[in-house]
Amino acid sequence: MTNKYQGLRRLALLATMTTALAAGMSSAAADELKVGVEIPLTGSLARVGSGMQEGINVAADVFNKTNGKHKIKLVTIDDESAPAKAIAAVEKLAGEGVLAITGGYGSNNIAPAADAAGKAGLVYVTSGGVDDNLVGSGRKNFFRINNVAGYQKAMVGLLEDMNARSVAIVYSTKEATAALAKDLEKAWGAKGLKVSSHAFDPAISDFKPIINKIKLQDKPEVIAMIGYENDYVGILRAARVLKPAVKAMVGVWSLATPKMAQDFPDLVPNVYGTALLPFPAQFTTADGKLFEETYRRLYKKDPDYLGQFGYVQSMLLFEAIARAADKGTLKKDGVAEEMRKTDRDTLIGRVQFGANGDNLNFTHHMGQHQGDKVAIVWPKAAATNKMNYPAVPW
Amino acid sequence: MTELILQALYSGLLQGGSYALIALGLALVFGAMRVINLAQGELVLLAAYIAYSVESGLGLNPVLAIPIALVVVCLTSAIVYAVVSRIKKDREINSLILTYGIGVILTNGMLLIWKADIRSTSSEWLQEAFVLGPFYSMRSEVLFFGVSLLMMAALWWWLSRSWYGRAVRAVSSNRDAAKLMGINPGYTELVSFIVAGILASFAGVALFSYGVISPAYGGVLTVKAFIITVLAGVGSIPGVLIGAVLLGVAEALTVTLASSALQELAGMGLFLLVLFIMPNGLFGLRARRG
Repeated sequence: MTNKYQGLRRLALLATMTTALAAGMSSAAADELKVGVEIPLTGSLARVGSGMQEGINVAADVFNKTNGKHKIKLVTIDDESAPAKAIAAVEKLAGEGVLAITGGYGSNNIAPAADAAGKAGLVYVTSGGVDDNLVGSGRKNFFRINNVAGYQKAMVGLLEDMNARSVAIVYSTKEATAALAKDLEKAWGAKGLKVSSHAFDPAISDFKPIINKIKLQDKPEVIAMIGYENDYVGILRAARVLKPAVKAMVGVWSLATPKMAQDFPDLVPNVYGTALLPFPAQFTTADGKLFEETYRRLYKKDPDYLGQFGYVQSMLLFEAIARAADKGTLKKDGVAEEMRKTDRDTLIGRVQFGANGDNLNFTHHMGQHQGDKVAIVWPKAAATNKMNYPAVPW
Repeated sequence: MTELILQALYSGLLQGGSYALIALGLALVFGAMRVINLAQGELVLLAAYIAYSVESGLGLNPVLAIPIALVVVCLTSAIVYAVVSRIKKDREINSLILTYGIGVILTNGMLLIWKADIRSTSSEWLQEAFVLGPFYSMRSEVLFFGVSLLMMAALWWWLSRSWYGRAVRAVSSNRDAAKLMGINPGYTELVSFIVAGILASFAGVALFSYGVISPAYGGVLTVKAFIITVLAGVGSIPGVLIGAVLLGVAEALTVTLASSALQELAGMGLFLLVLFIMPNGLFGLRARRG
């Protein structure tokens, strides 16, 4: 062999060794834990999906900065607010080797997506669906940090504090909203309130006939709205035109938010909605301050409850994955096992998962739009201000 | 109860006016070209977003967005025509798929520009209650109901009195015969698309002034427009108005007398009932003869 060929062989050997070393180094440094995010970023739930995604990203950022040993890598797929797309997204994420899934919005999308995750042996964690069937259908690796019972407690508690004697419920026929409306109907009825209910199709755009019925026939003290942002706008606008003689307009999710205050300043004054955070946000714990600081750095705005939920669900998942990785049980159902062992104080209170995957301790708060702020007005222990009552937007 | 029913009839009438404005464009293009433009709802929505931008960006009343909406939407409508006309000689299903695809592109374009947040006017003037005896509505609803009637009258005049309108009707009745009479079918079809764009512009600004918009809403509008067009009978302008008002009133009465959960079902029930009894729609035969 000539010197020339020997030189080439050495060069090739050196190149091979360098490549192998680099590969080895990168695999040693990249204790990278891949987590799937299946979430609506387009379609009817895009607004809420984007809000949750912000919290998920904040959780990954905080986790990666505070846990030196492990790094979370998020792989995000938009489910376009459609059940079939949600299944496809989960299957694709499973194919890409993610360790678990976080995200999901809308019970109708979450149920099939969680089933797909279950089939792939993946943990699925969410805060985007409150339908009780999600946790009542025997899903093994499904976890949820909020539930309809928490919303119900808050709504019932608020009306108790108001000493309200009658309420008209206006609710969307979607699964989660209808389920909450039925539960509230029972709970308020059991407390002696006069309750009337009006279901509406999600495609409805003119709410005047419903509000007129409530105004002329039901004559309640409170109107409870169980729907989504576009429904609230339609209902409040119709109520502003017809001016029923009520003492309060109360809604649920996506209502007592800075976004609604900013986008619809004329419609939301004095309106109540579930809210874990006042606006401007106030955090007192170290975890809360870190969340707020990171959120502001990444998104240049105040955090809202959607981000807060996304953050909590994802942080609990990341921590469970890290614990399973440390124990070497990642491939042996370790993530689900660690999730079941979770018992932690979080930004939404203490979280522990029951046998069905539901958070045992979840209780929501009620907020009220007061001026350009959102004040927490229920429960009294968490209140940042007194409620304006009676008071309506018009 | 009387008060409730009167309000339902009034609300249904106003709602029908806005439906008519959306449906007319679809009916016109279908009449002229036998193309169901599944992007018509998105064109309406595009005008609505222009109104939103004028209000939020320039701080003006959204009604002032009409001239800008007319230019942008008519241009977009003409582009839709340019694409559709290239394949329209093929099977009708092709144009259907094509316009659906254009609708998807428009939806995603709007999503990129205006994001997924729901939008609605903040104009106090437009949202102010308009009370007429026992009837309650928003000022914008009455305003655009009037606009809707004016647009329909103008369309009727244009189709029956103007040369271009007559040419559109001639092409709609018999394309080959119209050609022999010296009418350029391609040109009249383009004019139909532009007029449909004008109607969509007004409908979109109206929609923004009293409703809620989001990029995904275009499909819902197209379905409503399609139901009304079939209900009315192809090519009938008065039929579209009557069909739209019937749909609006049926929906409002269902909400008042039964349940609002059944509103969409009522519309679909009315649609099927009319088709079952009158397969050509309410004014189908008359329109064909006319």
